[in-house]
Amino acid sequence: MSIISVRDVSFFYNEKKLGLKNINIEINKGEWIAILGHNGSGKSTLAKTLVGLLEPQKGEILIDQVLLNDETAYELRKKIGIVFQNPDNQFVGVTVRDDIAFGMENLCVPREEMLQKIEFYAKKVGMSKFLDKQPSNLSGGQKQRVAIAGILAMHSDILIFDEATSMLDPYTRNDLINYIKTLNKEGLTIIMITHDVNEALLADKMLILNKGELYAFEETAEILKKPEVFHECHLELPVALEVASLVKNIEVKEKLWEYALTK
Amino acid sequence: MGIRFNQVTHEYASYSKVTYKAIHNISLSILEHDEFIALVGHTGSGKSTLAKHMNALIFPTSGTVEIFNNIITKKRDKKIKYNSIRKSVGLVFQFPEYQLFEDTVEKDIMFGPLNFKVSIEEAKKVALESLELVGLDESYLNRNPFNLSGGEKKRVSIAGILALDPEILVLDEPTSGLDPEGKNILMRLFKDIHKKTNKTIIIITHDMDLVYQYFNRVLVLKDGELSFDGSPERLFKSDILDKNHLDFPNTIKTLKHIKETMNLDINIYQKTVEDVIKELNRVTKNE
Repeated sequence: MSIISVRDVSFFYNEKKLGLKNINIEINKGEWIAILGHNGSGKSTLAKTLVGLLEPQKGEILIDQVLLNDETAYELRKKIGIVFQNPDNQFVGVTVRDDIAFGMENLCVPREEMLQKIEFYAKKVGMSKFLDKQPSNLSGGQKQRVAIAGILAMHSDILIFDEATSMLDPYTRNDLINYIKTLNKEGLTIIMITHDVNEALLADKMLILNKGELYAFEETAEILKKPEVFHECHLELPVALEVASLVKNIEVKEKLWEYALTK
Repeated sequence: MGIRFNQVTHEYASYSKVTYKAIHNISLSILEHDEFIALVGHTGSGKSTLAKHMNALIFPTSGTVEIFNNIITKKRDKKIKYNSIRKSVGLVFQFPEYQLFEDTVEKDIMFGPLNFKVSIEEAKKVALESLELVGLDESYLNRNPFNLSGGEKKRVSIAGILALDPEILVLDEPTSGLDPEGKNILMRLFKDIHKKTNKTIIIITHDMDLVYQYFNRVLVLKDGELSFDGSPERLFKSDILDKNHLDFPNTIKTLKHIKETMNLDINIYQKTVEDVIKELNRVTKNE
């Protein structure tokens, strides 16, 4: 059953600047979707319409079968958490502890439960030692992990990562990705906007946007068989697949495919 | 000599009175010209702290930093003109586009030179030159910087630093947040500026693919200490990356896998996709 339905959605920033054009998407509960696209293709615009931060001029969005509008937005936002690229844009707390608490405070979570959850999720993202630090004293990657902890603590059903790993170093990123895998196994729907095609390989489906239009939305293994889709949308293929499409030896080709898909 | 670190340690004070060592006992030299250096390391390994010492934005807690013959120590020295050091070594922070504030691109780039008492005519001339260095033409001069794309904003903000004509340019993760194409455009631009001006450029990055393709010297920081200083080739042939949990370039990782699973005699040290294909075709020619 669809947890997110996007029906014929168009969004214009102004007469000149198109955000999204006639988008139709159905996302099932528990799916992991990677959204790919060139800078300016409409990825972030789509994410913002899904959480009600932008209201499309045309079409409708249903979250868990409920129409997203002014009246329902407040309730529906509990179901969807969004982590932005730069956590500096979303810090409100004086300390890491306060910041993780912020979302829960708005949901009126009882204090005892909240204190436990802060500890639990700080530990999950590896930031237990930093609970009393000021967010401004943390490095970029550390800030991002705090932001993620804050959202996880609200128990959203759907998590959107808007290039949320792009500022992390590879080791921290792998850690986080592994954690996202766990969340996905626990039943959370994951929507990941990313420029990193290796990261996108983990998704069940890839959604490719090009100039505000839906260019492709398919199973990951299927779409990878069409390198032209990536080239046409100015996207990078994983090195292994780029090589596989041009290398002569059949056995090498197969091994490269295996390598790309088992990561 | 451009910049020389002599046993530099920097500790940050924190609330709980426990100090936190961001960098520890670092010694290294950077030439005034002709260097193109990548600075890599984990989140929290001290990269940004190290970069901030390079133009005396922060002072060492112990040790000294020599910047164009000015010796920076723990104590502020009245004889040193810190402002001119900051002009000689331009530091571009992460997400410099957030620092844009004027209503035209031209005004934004002119802001720095005007602060250093350059005449308006001269500042205008410099603004145009800097804009061209970052690959944008004069049609951008009167545009509002807030209506530009992410990559364009980044370039305008970098032009703002170039307008001060620094001897050395230090950039903290300039490619983060860009798509792969945007990353390569920006890296080619830096390489181009480097070639045209001979300026030493130091770039903080996590991207080993970029390190392999563009740089000839890499500094690796681990827990605030300098654990490697040398060429990318030497780095990738050493065990430093494994020890530091840092990633190898995708070309090497892919070839390593094929070499191991197919037991082929492959030279895995290939920089580009084209080189990888050539090497694979070479070793499988007779099969």
